[in-house]
Amino acid sequence: MRDLKHLIFFEDLLQEANNELVKQAKGEGKRALGYTCYFMPEVLLDLPGCFGVRLRAPRCTSPDIATYYMSGRTCHYGRSLLERALEGGYNFLDAQMATETCTVTCRFQEHLQMMDLIQNPDFFCEFSDVPFKKTENSYEHYREQLRAHVLKPLAERFGIDTSDEALMRTIEEHNEVCRLISEIGEYRKLDNPPITGYEFHVIQLVTLVCPKYLILPYLRETAEELRGREADAKPWFRCKVMLAGSENDDPGFTQLIEGCGAMVVADRYCYGSMPGREEIVVADGQEPLDAIARHYLKTGMCPRFMGQDEMRGRKKQLADIAKEYHADGIIVESNKFCEYWSYERTINTIVLKRDFGIPVCSIEKEYINSASGQLRTRFQAFIESIEIKKIQEGK
Amino acid sequence: MKMQKVKQLARDFWYGKPHKERRLGDLYIPKTGLYKHREWRGFMDTMYYFNRIWLYNYGMLVYDVMRYGGPVPLMKGIWRYRWVGQTYLTVMHWFDRGFEGMRGEAMKATGWHYRAMVNETIRQFMRMFTADANLHGGKHNEKWHHTIAHDETVAGAIFYPWRDRMDDVPLQMIPYFVTCHVNCHTVLNYIDAAQSIGLPGDPCPMCQAEAGLSILDDMPDYFPFLVTSNEACDGSVGTSILQDWAYDKPLFAMPQPMQFDDPLVQKHCRREIEECWKFIEEQTGLPMNWDLFVEYIEKYNQLTLFEREKWDVAANTPYYPINSVAQALYRIYYSQDGYRDIWAQTDRKVKKIMYRCVEKKIETFPETRHRVLAWSCAPLYYSHWCTWAYNCWGLNTIMNMDSLMFDIVMRTDTKEHLMEDFTIYNEWAPMRRMAVGGYKHIFEIWENMERFNCDMVMMYDQVQCKGMQGITGMFEDEFRKRNIHAIWMPHALPDSRTVSRAEIRRIVNDYMFTVMHEEPLDPTLLEFDDSMSW
Repeated sequence: MRDLKHLIFFEDLLQEANNELVKQAKGEGKRALGYTCYFMPEVLLDLPGCFGVRLRAPRCTSPDIATYYMSGRTCHYGRSLLERALEGGYNFLDAQMATETCTVTCRFQEHLQMMDLIQNPDFFCEFSDVPFKKTENSYEHYREQLRAHVLKPLAERFGIDTSDEALMRTIEEHNEVCRLISEIGEYRKLDNPPITGYEFHVIQLVTLVCPKYLILPYLRETAEELRGREADAKPWFRCKVMLAGSENDDPGFTQLIEGCGAMVVADRYCYGSMPGREEIVVADGQEPLDAIARHYLKTGMCPRFMGQDEMRGRKKQLADIAKEYHADGIIVESNKFCEYWSYERTINTIVLKRDFGIPVCSIEKEYINSASGQLRTRFQAFIESIEIKKIQEGK
Repeated sequence: MKMQKVKQLARDFWYGKPHKERRLGDLYIPKTGLYKHREWRGFMDTMYYFNRIWLYNYGMLVYDVMRYGGPVPLMKGIWRYRWVGQTYLTVMHWFDRGFEGMRGEAMKATGWHYRAMVNETIRQFMRMFTADANLHGGKHNEKWHHTIAHDETVAGAIFYPWRDRMDDVPLQMIPYFVTCHVNCHTVLNYIDAAQSIGLPGDPCPMCQAEAGLSILDDMPDYFPFLVTSNEACDGSVGTSILQDWAYDKPLFAMPQPMQFDDPLVQKHCRREIEECWKFIEEQTGLPMNWDLFVEYIEKYNQLTLFEREKWDVAANTPYYPINSVAQALYRIYYSQDGYRDIWAQTDRKVKKIMYRCVEKKIETFPETRHRVLAWSCAPLYYSHWCTWAYNCWGLNTIMNMDSLMFDIVMRTDTKEHLMEDFTIYNEWAPMRRMAVGGYKHIFEIWENMERFNCDMVMMYDQVQCKGMQGITGMFEDEFRKRNIHAIWMPHALPDSRTVSRAEIRRIVNDYMFTVMHEEPLDPTLLEFDDSMSW
C-alpha cells in the first residue's frame, strides 16, 4: 500500500506530550488541560479557549524517581506519568482534570496536587467522582460532578465559556472527529482493509493528544486519502485479531502484533476508539451536559463498572465487536499491576472461549514493551493456533 | 543464697517472673510455634487464664455450636469445607499467641474481646451451615430463604431493617478473614486457586483469596442473593466479577464514592443505599422496618461511644487494658459486622475492667518504651506481632488505622439526619476512609500521632496494595521532615509466604538495634522459627 501522507507527521506528534500542535495551541493562548481517563469527557476540555491532552509518557522506560514515590509494585503507566511530570514534561499544562477511576493514576494525579510539580503558576488539579454503575442515580451524579469539577473551575479560573451554546459547538467539532475516525476505522471490517491496525492506532492516538481544531484538517485529508487507497492484492496478514484490554498508548505494541502476521482490526482498550469515537447525540430539549454525561457512562466498557448486567454484558460486547470486525481471535492484554484488568482479562480468557467459541490470547504487558521477543513468541503461537483451527474447519 | 533462691521461686510462683526474666522464646518447640509447656503467669493469673479464658472458651465453643444448630451441621461443614476443619481446632492456640506474656487486668479485658469474636464467628458459620443447600441435598430450606449474603466490606448495618426477619452473613468474614488469623496456612490454598485460572500474582491477595473461595466452590450456598461493594479498592471490584460468575445469583453492587469529602457525593451515596434496600425488598418480598433500623443504629451508637471512651483512655493514660491485637480485631470485627448483643455484653464487662484500671491507676503495660501508632493495613497472618513487639522490645501499639473507621455517632432525631449520617458512616468503611479515599486522609496519621501521644509509627507496607504502594515516597519524605521514627513492615496481608513472620521480626529487630540503639527486654524472642506455626 502507498504510505499515508501524514503518517510520519502523526508519529512525530506522538513522541512527546508537548508536541508541535500543543505548542501551537498554547502559542495561540489556549489553556492545556491534562487528563488520563475516558471518564473525563474530552469534549468538555475542548471548549473554546482550551484543549484536552490525554497524558502519555512516550519512551519512558525507566521511571526511577517515580518508583521511589510510588514503589516498583504499581502500574508502570502511572509511574511513567509521574516520572515525566518530575522531568518537567508536563509543564505546559494549565490544569489536570483528574478522576479516581483507577488507583494508580489517581495516586499520580494526587502527586501533582501535593508536590507542586507543574511549573505553571496557574496550574491546578481537580478531581471528579465517577460512578461505578449505569443507573439513573449514576447519570445524575456524574453530570453534577462534571458541572462542579470541570465546567465551574474552567469558567472561574480561566474564563472559559461553558454555556450550552459553547458546549453544542464543541460537541459538533468532537462529533466530526468521531465521524472521521469511525469512517477510517470502518475499513478494518473489509476482507482486505486498505489500512493497517498500526496506522489506525496512530491516527486515533493523535486525536487524543492534540488540540482537535488543529488535528482536524489532517484527519480530513487522511480520510480523503483513504477513500482512494487500495490495499495490496494479496493480504499481508495471516489472520485478524481484536485487541482488548487495559491502558495502551503504544502503537509499537500494535505494530508488534502485526509484525507477527495478525492484523489488529478492533481496538477495545483505554486510549482506543472502542469506545471513544461514537458521536454524542443531544436530544431535543436535552441539556448538552446531560447528553455528555449519559454518553460517556453508557458507552464506557471499563471493568470498574460493577452492575450485574454490565459485568456480564461486557463479554458479549467483546464477542459482538469481534464478530462485526471479522476477528479470528482476541488478544486480551493487561498492564502489569492493573487490578481491574487482571481480573477482567482472567475472566474474559475463560468466558470468551467457553461461551462464544472465540480463541483468546491472554497476556500481561508493561507500559513500554521491552520484552518484545517473548511477546512475539506468544503472538506467533496464537496466530499459528488460529491458522490450524481454520485448516481443521476447512476454511 | 539458698534462702534468696527460695524467695525468688516463691515470688515467681505467686506473681510470675518479671518481664525481663521471662525468656518466653524458650517455651517454643522449634518451627511449630507451639509451647513445650504453658507460661506460668503467677498463681492468680495462671488460674484465671486457664479457667476463665482457656477452659471457659473451650466450653463456650461447644455451647455455641449446640445453641446455634448442633453438632450435625458443624460436622457436615467440617467435612465439606476445608477452611472450617483447618481452623476450628486451632482456635485456642490463636488465644495463646495473642495473650503471650499478658498479666492482670489487661489479660482479662482482652479475654472478653476474644470471647466475643469467637462467639460471633461460630454464630456466623453455623448460620451458613444450617442454611446451606450443599449440606441439605441441594434443598433450599427456610433459613436459606432468610439469609442475606454480602461482601465482607459491605457494612452489616445496611441490613438492620430486616434483622427481625432475616439474618445477614458476610461471605468472606469467616472463610477468609478469620481463618487468616487463626491458621495462616488455610488461606494459601485459595490464593493459589485464583492464580490457577490465570489471575496474576500481584493483585491484592485478600481479593485473590476471596475469589479463590468461589473458584474452588468452598463457599456454602446459604443465600438467595448477594450485595457486593467496591470497598476497598480496584481488586474488590474485580472480585465481584469473579464472584458473580461463580455464584450466578441476583447481585446488587453497592459502590461507594471514592471522593467522599465532596459534599456532592452524599446524595448519590444515599440513593445507592436506598436502591440496595429496594433490591432487598424485591428479592425477599419483605418491606424494610424503619423503626428497627433506628433501634439498631441507637444500639450501635452506644458501642461507638464506648469505643471513643476506650480511645480516650488509651490516648491519655497508661491504664488502657486491651492489648493491641484485641483492639484492632475486635474493633474491625464489630464495626464491620454491625450491632450484635455479644458486642454490648462484652463492652459492659470491659468497661468495668477499664474503669477499675483507671480508678486504681493500674499500669497495664508497664514495660512500654515506645507508644506506637500502626498505620495502613495489617498482616493478617501476624496480627499478634504487637504482642511479640511488646514482649521483646516494649513497643506498645496504642492505636491502628483500621480502628478509626466508622467513627461517627449517628443522629436519630429525624429521618433526614439519620440518612445523612448513615451515608457518611457507610463511606467511612475500612480502607476507604483513609487508605484509598484521597491522600489527605492517609496523612491523618500526623494528627493521630498527636491524639494518641505516640512517638513511633509501625508503617504497614502491604506489598500488593496499589493504593498504599502508590504513596510510599511521600510518607518517607514526611517521616524525614518530621523526624519521626517509622518502621516499614512489609507483608502480603494474608499470604505468609511473601514475607514471613521471621522476616518481619528481623526488620523490627534491626531497626531497634541499629537506629534506636536499644536492647531487647526478652532476648529469647529476637529470633525463633515459627515457620510451620498456625
